[in-house]
Amino acid sequence: MKLRILLADDHEIVRRGLCSLLQKHEGWEVCGEASDGREAVEMAKRLKPDVVIVDIGMPSLNGLDTTRQLMQHDPQFKVIVLTITDSDQVIREALDAGARGFVLKSDAARDLVSAVEALQSKRMFFTPRVNDLVLAGFLDKGHVVARNEAPSLPTLTVREREITQLLAEGKSSKEVATLLNLSTKTVETHRSNIMRKLSLHSIRDLVVYAIKNNIIQIQMPAQIRSAPETTVV
Amino acid sequence: MAVRILLVDDHPIVRQGLRTLLQGRQDWEVVGEASDGIEAVEKVESLQPDVVVLDVTMPRMNGLEACRLIQQKRKNSGLEVLFVTQHDSPQMMREALDAGARGYVVKSNAARDLLEAVESVSQHRVFTALARSPQASG
Repeated sequence: MKLRILLADDHEIVRRGLCSLLQKHEGWEVCGEASDGREAVEMAKRLKPDVVIVDIGMPSLNGLDTTRQLMQHDPQFKVIVLTITDSDQVIREALDAGARGFVLKSDAARDLVSAVEALQSKRMFFTPRVNDLVLAGFLDKGHVVARNEAPSLPTLTVREREITQLLAEGKSSKEVATLLNLSTKTVETHRSNIMRKLSLHSIRDLVVYAIKNNIIQIQMPAQIRSAPETTVV
Repeated sequence: MAVRILLVDDHPIVRQGLRTLLQGRQDWEVVGEASDGIEAVEKVESLQPDVVVLDVTMPRMNGLEACRLIQQKRKNSGLEVLFVTQHDSPQMMREALDAGARGYVVKSNAARDLLEAVESVSQHRVFTALARSPQASG
């Protein structure tokens, strides 16, 4: 029986590349493609893929919260997170969300097949940078994720994280309500709770918070430099 | 005669996606790939492509600098540069055209715009399309 893979990335050009890479592997098939996290969750529930590959920086619902929602629905989901950055914070959040694989987008052509193979064999796959961090966590703290350095949204529920991203992307409460099939009043209650929990006072504060905590990603400014750290897909 | 295309992007997976799209045209040939601006300039010299599909943000040398160099070296050769970038901004598009590019496509719309863009620039016509205002100018 073929291994069924669901791909989620907002760039079709990247999905094409990933598809082409994965479909060369005998015994694997891409059973679906999603262009944002919300669509990925819906498709994963319906298609029940063996492996889900999610980009971190997707609109509407980012890859980390997609992973959280998938794991909340069914902890048996095997998720590989694709990312452009391997910062400590992103790695910790990915591990905390339940990802079993972590691959840098720049290395996807080299590492993604190995990552899927690892998950297929019920193992995990992480880039060397993640392995270093995990090892350091064991050596320094005695466990993988130091809870006192834990991720940025410790007090928000899955629904509140989702609404945080949508508000930070510029959607109104009414738009969020329509998108999530909730009443505007319910969204406004969530919004008040989010602002209170995070001690924020304006949407501007919320946007800054969302950017700082990788909930949304901003486009690089026009004045670019030839440096790897500015590389984005 | 086949249109010879050089693909330049620092992410192999994006180059693979571009290649997959371009394979739809029998009369086009991807003659090579480069992962940064310096390699792009070198490969333009050695491979003599007709069209360079170029990313903006890359390590070592970005696409704008590479485009300027390529245009200096291959002046009047008929070579055209098409940017495919995540920068969905009129300012960046202007910079790209000022650097000598003939086309500008936003990565999020590459699947929709790339073939038409390559077709246009290979015939020395301008093609620009931002994601927010998705109409080409030819």
